[in-house]
Amino acid sequence: MASLRDIRKRIRSVKNTRQITKAMKMVSAAKLRKAQENVIASRPYAQTLDAVMSQLLSKVEPGAVTHPLLTSREVKRIEFVVVSSDRGLAGGFNSNITRRALKFLAEHADKQVTITTVGRKGAEFLRGRGFNVRKDWTGLLSKLSYASAEAVAVEVTNRFLSGEVDAVYFLFNEFVSAIAQVPNLSQVLPYEPKAAASATPGGEYAYEPTPQAVLEKLVPQAVNVKIYGGLLESYAAEHAARMAAMENATKNAGDMIGTLTLFYNRSRQALITKELMEIVSGAEALKG
Amino acid sequence: MAKLKVEVVTPERRLVQVEADEVIAPGAEGLFGVRPGHAPFLSLLSPGPLTVKSGGKNELFFVAGGFVEVGAHNVRVLADAAQPAKDIDAAAAKKRIADAETALKGLEVTDPRAQPHRELIRREQKRLEVGAMK
Repeated sequence: MASLRDIRKRIRSVKNTRQITKAMKMVSAAKLRKAQENVIASRPYAQTLDAVMSQLLSKVEPGAVTHPLLTSREVKRIEFVVVSSDRGLAGGFNSNITRRALKFLAEHADKQVTITTVGRKGAEFLRGRGFNVRKDWTGLLSKLSYASAEAVAVEVTNRFLSGEVDAVYFLFNEFVSAIAQVPNLSQVLPYEPKAAASATPGGEYAYEPTPQAVLEKLVPQAVNVKIYGGLLESYAAEHAARMAAMENATKNAGDMIGTLTLFYNRSRQALITKELMEIVSGAEALKG
Repeated sequence: MAKLKVEVVTPERRLVQVEADEVIAPGAEGLFGVRPGHAPFLSLLSPGPLTVKSGGKNELFFVAGGFVEVGAHNVRVLADAAQPAKDIDAAAAKKRIADAETALKGLEVTDPRAQPHRELIRREQKRLEVGAMK
C-alpha cells in the first residue's frame, strides 16, 4: 500500500496539472474568440469576391475570357496542402487531419504528390511516416495575416502555373462550432468558380480596362482568399479543439483529486484505528 | 436624393459600410466618380485615393489596389489593403520605399524579381501622396 506521504505527493501533482490545463483552457478560449472574430470579419470580402466573379463569368460570353488558373489539364502531379497546428494538446485536432491526409495520399498513390504543410504537427507526422514534405510553413499560424496566407497561396499558384503540378488540393479543419471540427478537403487549383447565379439583376457590366484584365486579377485573388479563409478556420478550430480537450482534462484531474483525497483520508483513518487498537490491546495485556 | 450604399472591404475585415452621395475611386484608367444611378461597372483599382462624399463631409482613404463594383445604388470596393488617410504613417512608408530601393540596387533592370519592389515603391509613393492630401 502506498504510504500517506506518497498519496499526498500524488494529490499535489495532480492539482498542479489541473491548474495548467485550466490555464490553457482560458488561453484557448480567449484566442478562440479572437479567431472567430477574424473568420467573421473575412467573410464579406470572400462573399463579394465570389459574387463579382460569378457575375463576370455568367455575363460575358462563354469562352470570351480564359485564365490559366481555371484551365484543367490531365492530372499527373498533385500539390497537397495540409493545415495542422504548431502545438499539440488539442485533442483529436491533429490526428483527424493526419488521418484524412494519409487517406488522401493512399488514394492518390499512383500520382506524384508533393506536400506542403502549414503547422509543425502535420509536417512532423508526415515526415515520421516517411513522406517527403517539400515545404513546411511553421510558425505562420500564430501571427496569421492575409499577407502570410497570400505567401502560401502565391507559392503553390506559381508551381501550378509553371507546370510543376497539375492540381492543388487543400486540407484543413473546418470550424463548424466550438465542439465540432471537421476535416475539409477541396481542390484549389484549377480553380472552380461557384455556380453562377445567372438571374442576378442589373444590366450588362462595363469593364475597365477589359473583362480579361479584371479576370486576371480576380482569379488569383480568389485563390488567395480561399487559402486565407481555410487558415483562419483551421486556427479557430484548433483553439476550439484545445479548449474542449483542456476542459476535459481539467474535469478528469478534478475527479482524480476527489478519488485520491478519499483514499488518503481512508488510509489515514485506518492507520489511526490500527494505532489505537495497538495501544488499547497493549494496556489490556499489562492489566492482566 | 437617392443615396449610394458604399462598402469598403479588405480580405481581413470590413472597413466601411455607409451611405454616401458620391464616391471617387482610383480606377485602372484614372480617377472616376460615381453617383446614384450609375451604370453597372466593374473596374480594377490602382493604388490611390478613395473619396467618399456624404452631405458636406469628405472621407479620404488610401487603397492599395483591388476591384470596385458599381451598381445603380451601391459601390463595393474590394481593396487588397485600405486605410483611412489620417492613419497613414509617412515615416513607415518612406522607410519601405528606402528598403525597396536598396533591394533594387542589387538587381538587374530586367530581373523579374525587381518588379515587386517597383510596385511597392509606386504604391508607397501613392500612399504618401494620399497622406499629404487631407
